[in-house]
Amino acid sequence: MSAVYKRELASYFRSPVGYIALALFSFLSGFVFINQYSNGSVNISSEIMSLCSFFVVIIPVITMGLFSEDKKRGTEVLFYTNPVSMFDVVLGKFLAAMTLIAILFLNVIVHMIITAFSGGVVNIGSWGSVIVFFCLAVLFTSIGILASALTDTQIISAIISFVLILVIQLLQTISTLASSALYSLLSSSMLSLDTEKINTICSNTAAAISWLSPFSKTQDFRYGVFSISPLVYCVSMALVFLFLTYRILEKKRWSQN
Amino acid sequence: MIEINNLVKRYGDIKAVNGISFTVNDGEVLGFLGPNGAGKSTTMNIITGYLSSTSGTVKVNGHDILEEPEEAKKCIGYLPEMPPLYFDMTVLEYLNFICDLKKVPKKERKEQLASILSMVKIVDMADRLIGNLSKGYKQRVGIAQALVGNPDILILDEPTVGLDPNQILEIRKLIRKLADKHTVILSSHILSEIQAVCDRVVIINQGKVAAIDTITDLSSKLSGSTKLSLSFKGPVKEVTNKLRSIPGVNNVTSIVSNDDTSIHQVEITADSSAKNDVRTGVFYAMSKGGWPMLEFRSMDPSLEEIFLSITSV
Repeated sequence: MSAVYKRELASYFRSPVGYIALALFSFLSGFVFINQYSNGSVNISSEIMSLCSFFVVIIPVITMGLFSEDKKRGTEVLFYTNPVSMFDVVLGKFLAAMTLIAILFLNVIVHMIITAFSGGVVNIGSWGSVIVFFCLAVLFTSIGILASALTDTQIISAIISFVLILVIQLLQTISTLASSALYSLLSSSMLSLDTEKINTICSNTAAAISWLSPFSKTQDFRYGVFSISPLVYCVSMALVFLFLTYRILEKKRWSQN
Repeated sequence: MIEINNLVKRYGDIKAVNGISFTVNDGEVLGFLGPNGAGKSTTMNIITGYLSSTSGTVKVNGHDILEEPEEAKKCIGYLPEMPPLYFDMTVLEYLNFICDLKKVPKKERKEQLASILSMVKIVDMADRLIGNLSKGYKQRVGIAQALVGNPDILILDEPTVGLDPNQILEIRKLIRKLADKHTVILSSHILSEIQAVCDRVVIINQGKVAAIDTITDLSSKLSGSTKLSLSFKGPVKEVTNKLRSIPGVNNVTSIVSNDDTSIHQVEITADSSAKNDVRTGVFYAMSKGGWPMLEFRSMDPSLEEIFLSITSV
């Protein structure tokens, strides 16, 4: 695992990818921070939350080449024919991407230090947002890795992970849209259900969809209210995606098509 | 030692490999020969654990490749058709990464890499980016990669493809040298290469083993008779009749005839058991008749002919 981890982390900085991600993230975080700072009220939590909405761009850039490049260059043979387990390979690549994200996050740490020294508020809610940031990063990175194992073209992998992450980010909006669509469908149809029933069905559908959203689960963290379930949610979802990646890679060995 | 038993690999309805069995002994150089699409690479990929077989077993030094993959893979160094190189790394960084993958102990690493670099002659390239190397050097880095961890068995899939003649000769020399310490399986469709390097040949055609033998045995099996080619200056009819009368000669056919210069070439077919007698007989007959011999050579079937006659059936 450490062999793959070391290589992938170093390769971020041998290619433009690491620098592009670093520049992009520094610019975005710096922009948000300066904006708040010049207004005289810095809110670290809201800075982190707006950075989280940029994951949809940053994570695909970081993860798009992880497996697709190996497939294209033929270097994946190394993982199949050397005494390493494929799960170690997946984990190594995942941890390399997470390390890069942690390096990107140093920007925010600097902002927190500046805030603390210039008399701003860095409280338990700020640290809660940090946890949320990394939970979401773990979840989205695992999705990005899955996408890159699906194809041997970086761009297609980036598009797949972009779409998946976008859908997850918009889950709350989607839930409202879905419930109102369902409402109009049910109320206009010949089913002649009573309004109360329709209302229950719609609100339950909306609740079910928005239950899936990692954003709604972690809302309270920024106010310093912690709970374990969102952490379990993010980590277990990430494990599912990593396991799928592992199975997809193993499938190549057994495939008979 | 590699034991391959009744290997089958199916792709949909097509059997890419259809019941291949053979054994590779320790210290042997085995040539793997076959036309395009015969199943050479698929077989090699199964032996190295890159693909799984539909049925059949591969045992590497007694370890089954599917049941004890880590043990089996430790014994194998593999150079696939396309060398698995990271173009963004230097040669040394790359080989260190391979050491990490193969779990070579840190202590032995420096010494081992130094000896590998000098063996494949890339010491001067150690700090260059792999992406900037020429094709020949990339191939050598690929071979170096297979050598890391000192595996007993080397599996090289078309190691000289796309190289210039000088590089081909050097790689062949290198493979010969490697054969002192390793068991080597080498695939190629360049027949002269197999002839130059290998002890034994496995000829594969349409997913099946068409022949396994040493090259000399293969050629004698194929032809019960020996062919000799003779060029001389003299009257063609007279000479032909004279040659036919030599005991052991079955037939004499004219190949090239030039009446202006009276230089002719004939092909003599003789019993292979009487080979030596025929040659001396021919010499004395020609010298007695006062016909100068310009060229005289035996025409053993080359691997090329063996290959064609086996794979075209």
